[in-house]
Amino acid sequence: MNGQKPKLVGPALIGGAVAGILSGIPFVNCLCCLWIIGGAILASYLLAKDSPVNLTAGDGAIVGAFTGLFAAAIEALIAVPFQAMNVAFFQKVMERLAEFSKEMPAGWETWFKRGEAPFSIAWFFLGLVVSAAIFAALGALGGIIGMSLFGKKTPPPAPGITHETPQDTGHSQS
Amino acid sequence: MNAKKISWIYSASLLGILGWLGAIWLAPYLRSRGAPLGKFIYLCFSPICHQIPARSFSFVGYPLAVCARCLGIYFGFLAGMVLYPFVRGFSTVRLPKARVFLAFTAPIVVDTVANFFHLWETSNVLRLSLGFLWGSLLPFYFMTGLAELALKGIKHIE
Repeated sequence: MNGQKPKLVGPALIGGAVAGILSGIPFVNCLCCLWIIGGAILASYLLAKDSPVNLTAGDGAIVGAFTGLFAAAIEALIAVPFQAMNVAFFQKVMERLAEFSKEMPAGWETWFKRGEAPFSIAWFFLGLVVSAAIFAALGALGGIIGMSLFGKKTPPPAPGITHETPQDTGHSQS
Repeated sequence: MNAKKISWIYSASLLGILGWLGAIWLAPYLRSRGAPLGKFIYLCFSPICHQIPARSFSFVGYPLAVCARCLGIYFGFLAGMVLYPFVRGFSTVRLPKARVFLAFTAPIVVDTVANFFHLWETSNVLRLSLGFLWGSLLPFYFMTGLAELALKGIKHIE
């Protein structure tokens, strides 16, 4: 039998942190959903590289979904400074920057419209729940893509022959 | 039995993307009617899209809930879902080859990075088109992953 199964929590946390932080910062979140997918691909890579067995697209979907969940939580925390109670401060900072800088990111004035509504705990948690569902779906997609790129592949078994785990990683089977 | 499970997953996914696209168009409509739900829909999409009006198409005088690139990705996803039964069918699941992924992904990555660093400015139509190209490949990953999960479960990770 094989040794330990790789744990998905570590790779999902790392991928989720990268995706969540980059998604929450207005300067760089212009890549939209690609950060979540990219974070999930990273998680798949981290999971696959230490796995003693070939991982499947289904494994990628799971680690990607967890990556999305972690990313949603981290993004919600990162985005708190841009809520209404702090938007005035950051808007002033950006307006001063615009006075001296010739090139400002396009549409920067609209960044702070996200925080127009008064911040409330209810909105925060409602947004977190919806984000978690959306990020999990996107993360699952990214995880599947990542596993297709980095998961070790085995040839399909011949008919009537049971598939065996290949020994290509140096891990010996006991 | 496998084909039936895969077809159920396909149907649910197809309904999902139709609902997703519907919400994108519903947001500006509700906003034009002054309905608070419109603002909530915009809020739901805000974590995954910058929603910059200048980079978004409009409907009934208000920007859609996502930008042109994201809209292209989601429309492409729908197109890929429509094509999926004809390309793969429901009796087997298989991931696309890596070179196919790279070929479909390279244009949108190059364009996105170039716009980010202000190397050039891309029109909304071209953003939509590149997003559509990439999005059309994604169902072939999404369906495979969900089908494998449903058919084989989680065996190799914990």
